[in-house]
Order: sequence, then C-alpha cells, then structure tokens
Amino acid sequence: MKLEMGYFNIRDVVFGTGSKLDSGVLTIDRAALERLVLEDESIKSVVVDIARPGESVRITPVKDVIEPRTKVAGKGGIFPGVISNVETAGSGTTYALKGMAVVTAGRIVGFQEGIIDMTGPGAQYTPFSRLINVCMVCEPVESAERHVYEKAVRMAGLRAAAYIGSLAKDAVPDEIKVFETLPLMEGKAAFPNLPRVAYVQMLQSQGLLHDTYVYGVDVKRIVPTLLYPTELMDGAVISGNCVSACDKNTTYHHLNNPVVADLYEAHGKTLNFTGVIITNENVYLADKQRSSDWTAKLCKMLDLDGVIISQEGFGNPDTDLIMNCKKIEAEGIKTVIITDEYAGRDGKSQSLADSDPAATAVVTGGNANQVVLLPKLDKVIGTLDYVTKIAGGNENSIREEGIIEVELQVFTGATNELGFNTLSAR
Amino acid sequence: MNFRVITNNPKVYRVYAKTCLVEYQKVSYQEVLLQVRHYVQQGCRILSHPLSGSVKPGEMPYKSIMISSQAAGVVDMESELLIEQCLAVCNSFSDAGRRWPACVLDDFQYIDYTLIASAVESARSLG
Repeated sequence: MKLEMGYFNIRDVVFGTGSKLDSGVLTIDRAALERLVLEDESIKSVVVDIARPGESVRITPVKDVIEPRTKVAGKGGIFPGVISNVETAGSGTTYALKGMAVVTAGRIVGFQEGIIDMTGPGAQYTPFSRLINVCMVCEPVESAERHVYEKAVRMAGLRAAAYIGSLAKDAVPDEIKVFETLPLMEGKAAFPNLPRVAYVQMLQSQGLLHDTYVYGVDVKRIVPTLLYPTELMDGAVISGNCVSACDKNTTYHHLNNPVVADLYEAHGKTLNFTGVIITNENVYLADKQRSSDWTAKLCKMLDLDGVIISQEGFGNPDTDLIMNCKKIEAEGIKTVIITDEYAGRDGKSQSLADSDPAATAVVTGGNANQVVLLPKLDKVIGTLDYVTKIAGGNENSIREEGIIEVELQVFTGATNELGFNTLSAR
Repeated sequence: MNFRVITNNPKVYRVYAKTCLVEYQKVSYQEVLLQVRHYVQQGCRILSHPLSGSVKPGEMPYKSIMISSQAAGVVDMESELLIEQCLAVCNSFSDAGRRWPACVLDDFQYIDYTLIASAVESARSLG
C-alpha cells in the first residue's frame, strides 16, 4: 500500500468572510464552523477561538486535538467509518495542514481533562503549544448524558478538522512525501537481508470515555488485527479517550504516530517495516489473555525479528503491556516497549503496575507525577473550574496571584507513550 | 451467575443488584482491594483488572472488581500476585484529603460503572 502525503505549512489562522487557504494563511468563516459544530442537537453552544504559540493563553479542559487532513486521490476518505464511508483508506494522496490543529474542549466529566499552555513553563510540557490551535469549547444541552455529549464533541472535532482540511483540496502542497509498505512476500523479497520489524500499538479500550475507534468500531470489541501503517495517516484510528491527559493518544497522535514515522525512516535501510498490529486494553482478564495470545501469534505468523510495543494509559494497560512483551519474546522475537511512569512526586516509587524479566528494553515518556508551577496567564479558553479536580491538581492547586501547582499529568500529551513528546533526561 | 462484583460504588449496586451477585460496602478504594485479596486467599480468581480506568488511586474514590463467585480449593497464584501488585501501586498514591463536590462524585461513580460494565458485558458474552 502506497500513500503520498502532501504537507501545507500553515503560517497563520485568522477569522474572515469565507473559509479559504491562501499562501499558508488559513481564513476560517467562524459562523460556518459554528454551524457545522451545532449540527449535533446534543451541543447547545460553541465558542470558537484561535490560540497561537507564545500568546498568554491557557486552553482547558482539552478533550481532543486533531490535525486537519483531506483525501485528494485514492480509495476511501479521511476518518474512514466515522466521517467518510468505511472503505479501506491508506492509499492514494492525502493532504495535511501542518503547524495547526483543531482542539476540542468542554466539560465531559467534572474532573480530569488536560491543559495546553501557549506560553510559559507549561508550554514546554505539551507539544501542542507549538501549533496554532483552532479551539472549540462546546457546551452540551442540559439533557445530554455524558457519553452522548462525549460522542457529540468527538464528532464535532472530526467534522471541523475534515472541513478545514478540505480547504487545501485544490492547492499545491509545500512538501510531498511518499510512504509505502509492500505486501508480505514482496516485502520479504525486496529486503531479504533486513530484520523484519512490526509495530504493536495498544489502544485504550476500557469503557466509556476510555475508548478508541478503528474504522468506526469500538476497539474493545476487536481482536488484534493488521493495518498498513498508512491507514493510520488517513485517520483509521481516532480517539474517544477523555481520561489521563498526559498519556492518552489524541487523534493528532494517531495521525502523526512517531513510531510509524521513525520506522518508515529506517525502512529499507536498516530494517523492513512489516506492518502495524493493533490490539486493545480491556478490563476483563480473559480479554487480555485472548488479545495478548493473538498478538504474539500474529507476530510469529509475520515471521518477525523485532517488535516495538506502545501502550496507552496506566495501571490496567501495564498488565497488557507486559503480557504482550513476554508472550512475543517467548516466540523468539525481540521487543522494545514504550511507556510512561507514575513514580511519585519524588520519583522513588515503582513506576509500573507490572513487570517481567523479558522486558529488557524500555523507553519512558517521563514521570507523570513531576510537580510543575504554572503562572497565571492572561486568557483562558474553556474554564479553570476543573483545574482543582483534574488529574494531578487538588484543592490547594490555585495559589496566590493565580499560580497553579500541578503534576505533569495535567498537560495534554506531556508523557505520551508513543514517544511523541520531547521530555528527556539529557 | 459465575462471577461476583466487589464494589464501594452505589451506582454499580443500584444497576446490578437484581441481575448479578454484587457485594457493596461503603468503604475506601483500598479497602475494596483488600476485600478482593481476602476472597483470592479463599480461592477465588480475579476476573477484571483491579486498576481498571485511567483515574488514579488517590483521585478515584470508587472501585468495582469482578471475581469468580466460586472459591477453588487452592489459591490462584496469578490472582494473588495481581492483587498484591495493585495494592502496592494503590498504597503509593496519596489522596491528599480531597473532598469532592456531589456532582464530581456522581461523575466518578459513572466512570467506575462504565468500566465494570464492560467487564460484565465480556463475562456474559463468554457465558
């Protein structure tokens, strides 16, 4: 499967009459975007705003971050099974608007959610501070149940990203890159001497508000399966995960998965990037056993030499991570696992809820309990009402002069377990 | 019914009391784990992960865990190891004396309920 990606470098985003993309400047018709969001009867109102890097702006509580994309040639469409029809995506030509994102925010539940600071010490902990963010703060109708509201905001964000992405359809991209994964036997013939490496992506699937969707299917209902890596770039996997801001994978992460990017970079040079296996992280232990057994079985069937495994979340998924790791290692296949840590504010506690001697190669996204002091910023998009309740905050979080003491886990994407963020011990 | 739900979540009790074996007690998150350990040491197996959900111990006041309703003659060592690991993790989190408003408690109950509901759905589909 071969996908040509066209990238547009977005220099600025402004509101104006008539949405358009012209020379790197994106103009958004605010009223048109609001109408698009309000198509869902569960959303009572929406406030659309723009936050730029360096501005004294705090966005919270963040639900999802989505990169605008559009399909210009080939089968299927963006966010297949959700926004587009369910036809298999990942081939042809797709355009992406780089340097910007759609950010959805709103009170799904009265705790958790994330912060994106556009300046100050908080900005360095979230990669989304470096993007121009089109923020949509959505309020539900009073009768909307939490899961209905979550779905409404999830869909509104995807509709907005597809709408904005479509503005690039007739423009010429600034850069083009081609990604290709050959069918198994052709790949083996093309790179006979290179180690065969696949990516096992564990997807959050514990229950409502902890969910992920593949081609529109709730991931807790799948058994492990194979994807071409390029399917991820067309939005085959989207986030419905509202909980644990620092290490949840937003839809932006799925579209721009750094494990996929780095494996493609090495593909044909030092390794043969064979494909992606997606699996779940259910709460029922028999589901865990089935999924980890099948993941190891698929790795063996693909005749792999190595596997990179990423997890999403904390606690329950640690068990899936270790089960996957030791079962794949038991098949004689080397693994590297990517996780993050909850090692306490002093960093001295046990980092993971599970472990095994087979897990000899571990990459960490950082300690989510690390304490950070945030200054007051001039403008809030959303509300600070939940800062005392979100993960890592508490009732003493807001100090004099508006300084907030929080743990790293409040920042959207801070300790991302795909390795998307840049925290380092160096 | 081949499973039992140990919970401190009144919503879980309200929803499942008539259709499942539910043991509800108004105790802490940690005490739910200790109760599960007690059952494991009597020979019950754990069926749902004790640290389900991304809301951490110390923040989340509610916990519901599914175990087998029948005790075997011997202790299931995987269950024993799992509950001990989870207790160790739980003990490393402090609740910092948080007091949650009623609306937030309601949200916590809802989240915990959705997590155990996904386990109940899996258990029922497997028979």
